[in-house]
Amino acid sequence: MASVTIEQVIKRYGDTQVMHGVDLDIQDGEFVVFVGPSGCGKSTLLRMIAGLEDISDGTIEIGGTVVNEVAPAKRGVAMVFQTYALYPHMTVYNNMAFGLKQAKMDKAEIDKRVRAAGEILHITDYLERTPKALSGGQRQRVAIGRAIVREPEVFLFDEPLSNLDAALRVQTRLEIARLHKRLGTTMIYVTHDQVEAMTLADKIVVLRDGRVEQVGAPVDLYERPKNTFVAQFIGSPKMNFFAPSALAATAPADLRGGSEDALLVGIRPEHLRVCEPSEAIVTARLDLIENLGEHVLAHMVATDGTEFIAKMETLPEGADTSAMQFTAAPERVHRFDKASGLRQ
Amino acid sequence: MSDRTLPRLLQTPAVLLLLVWMLVPLGMTLFFSFIRYVLNSLRRPEWTSPSIDNWRGFGNYQFVWNNDGFWLAIYNSVFIVTSIVVFTVIFGLAIAILVNRSFPGRGIVRVLLISPFFVMPAVNAVLWINMILDPVLGLQGIAVAGLNEMIDGLRDFPVLGGFFSLWPELSPISFRATQTSAYAVIIMVTWQWTPFAVLIFMTSLQSEDQQQKEAAILDGAGKWSMFRNLTLPHLGRPIAIVVMIQAIFHLSLYAEIEIVSRGNGNKNLPYLIGEFATNNIGAASAAGIFAVILANVIAIFLLRMVGKTLMD
Ligand SMILES: Nc1ncnc2c1ncn2[C@@H]1O[C@H](COP(=O)(O)OP(=O)(O)O)[C@@H](O)[C@H]1O
Ligand SMILES: [Mg+2]
Repeated sequence: MASVTIEQVIKRYGDTQVMHGVDLDIQDGEFVVFVGPSGCGKSTLLRMIAGLEDISDGTIEIGGTVVNEVAPAKRGVAMVFQTYALYPHMTVYNNMAFGLKQAKMDKAEIDKRVRAAGEILHITDYLERTPKALSGGQRQRVAIGRAIVREPEVFLFDEPLSNLDAALRVQTRLEIARLHKRLGTTMIYVTHDQVEAMTLADKIVVLRDGRVEQVGAPVDLYERPKNTFVAQFIGSPKMNFFAPSALAATAPADLRGGSEDALLVGIRPEHLRVCEPSEAIVTARLDLIENLGEHVLAHMVATDGTEFIAKMETLPEGADTSAMQFTAAPERVHRFDKASGLRQ
Repeated sequence: MSDRTLPRLLQTPAVLLLLVWMLVPLGMTLFFSFIRYVLNSLRRPEWTSPSIDNWRGFGNYQFVWNNDGFWLAIYNSVFIVTSIVVFTVIFGLAIAILVNRSFPGRGIVRVLLISPFFVMPAVNAVLWINMILDPVLGLQGIAVAGLNEMIDGLRDFPVLGGFFSLWPELSPISFRATQTSAYAVIIMVTWQWTPFAVLIFMTSLQSEDQQQKEAAILDGAGKWSMFRNLTLPHLGRPIAIVVMIQAIFHLSLYAEIEIVSRGNGNKNLPYLIGEFATNNIGAASAAGIFAVILANVIAIFLLRMVGKTLMD
């Protein structure tokens, strides 16, 4: 087990710079998720930790040692790839044993480790099969098994669930969480899916265009997003934003007041609730309703034309859908600077 | 009509044509191999036309079997084919892996690499035997003469000269000689067919999964281990294809052997057949049937060996 420290890391491909000085502290045993839209540099950062990409500038430390010049296999990391990257001509057993054989480990010890990993991941029945004869979920387990047997200091996952179907994704997500609990090893996990990030992470790192936008516990990011980007990225459906002019006359003065270009008010769909006209923050008409069974998503249009979503259990009976009033608890109302997007 | 009848009917002409194409020459060869049939005979003019009356049974086969050149020809056929296949696969692999990385001018290098394949076999043989391998006028002769001259010059040095005077004069190898002509054929055909192997291996290398390699790097595999465990198995099928196609092709080598030595010492089966066929069609046909048998033996052997790779 080891901590990982990233300092001022920069990555250039030729003339184009894709990582712009990333700083990050990952504690021993922590489950850290890199999340961000496609192309933001999550994989690049992970691959630099693994040693598959050179570090253009800055340093990466694993367990207190700078690993910039250390060979990938000597960094004590193991990686699970998005495409699994199993060795197609080897049996499942040999796929898992390959790294240990390269390290000239004792045969009996290899056998012990492979079988133990097989037990954990419930793949003992397939040990003699080749990857071709496995389903996607089974291949994913083998890929994880291949990482486990090496008993690494740090596990790296690059979008490991994105090739699985929805049901399997939820199940495997749980298993990865269980695995972390069981092994207690530092894990770094890359995904573009904020649900995976929220459910798995001890700490989420939100990336955008090669920069860290915010680092924090899932709840922190949800409750106190640093800027509009994080606010929109974390949570589903996305946070609603209102200009002061979109708000009702009854809204608190500090929201309505201030200059028009200075403020952006953010309220999550699940925090909006229907209220009396006297306490309304925003007044709107119903455009469309999506019924998801456990709750409904009401697509609303505010008086000035701003579109937003309200999430509630049911639409109040007999409500006048042409003019509905919404409010939210004061601590659920986020204020952002309109120009910079920063939280006020 | 059942579901399958119509497709079968539609296939019939093609299948029939192929059968006729194969069976007629094979049937004629078989027939000729069992009769006495020569192109010229003053003593027995009746043998000059193919007729069942000239039935000879297995006489032609016996004649070929006991011919001095027959076993040498079989041995040479197998030796030449095997050597060419082994060398082209080894060189093909090495070159394909080398040019698979990116470097300036890679496009041109690739085109140049392929070009030997487009030289006519006869031209290839003439160029090699006269301009490169010739012991006097070829590159080989010039190179050996140059080396000799250089060593000669070094002999005049004090002290060191004594060492060099112990060296024997190098003599160039004559590749038209009985003992060496098969090597000449192997060299020139290997040169011509290595590009074929390179071409096939290169396309296959480009489809190799890069993440597997990265996984192997993280597993601590070195270059050789990666080649052994990932690249080579990945190339299993293309190697099988290269081996099969070449084995079938090179069993019928002719032009190179004719040009290098007129079959002196390195006749293979086709060349022997050609010699018989200058007059004795019966014997040539019997030798032809032996060639068919040899080709089938090799084909079965190869299919056993590489078939598994192809079926996977
Ligand atoms: N080999 C490369 N050469 C040039 N640019 C690259 C290379 N690999 C990635 N990039 C660029 O780096 C950025 C980050 O890529 P990546 O880390 O793969 O994003 P993510 O995994 O977050 O989707 C992208 O803009 C991508 O175009
Ligand atoms: Mg990625």
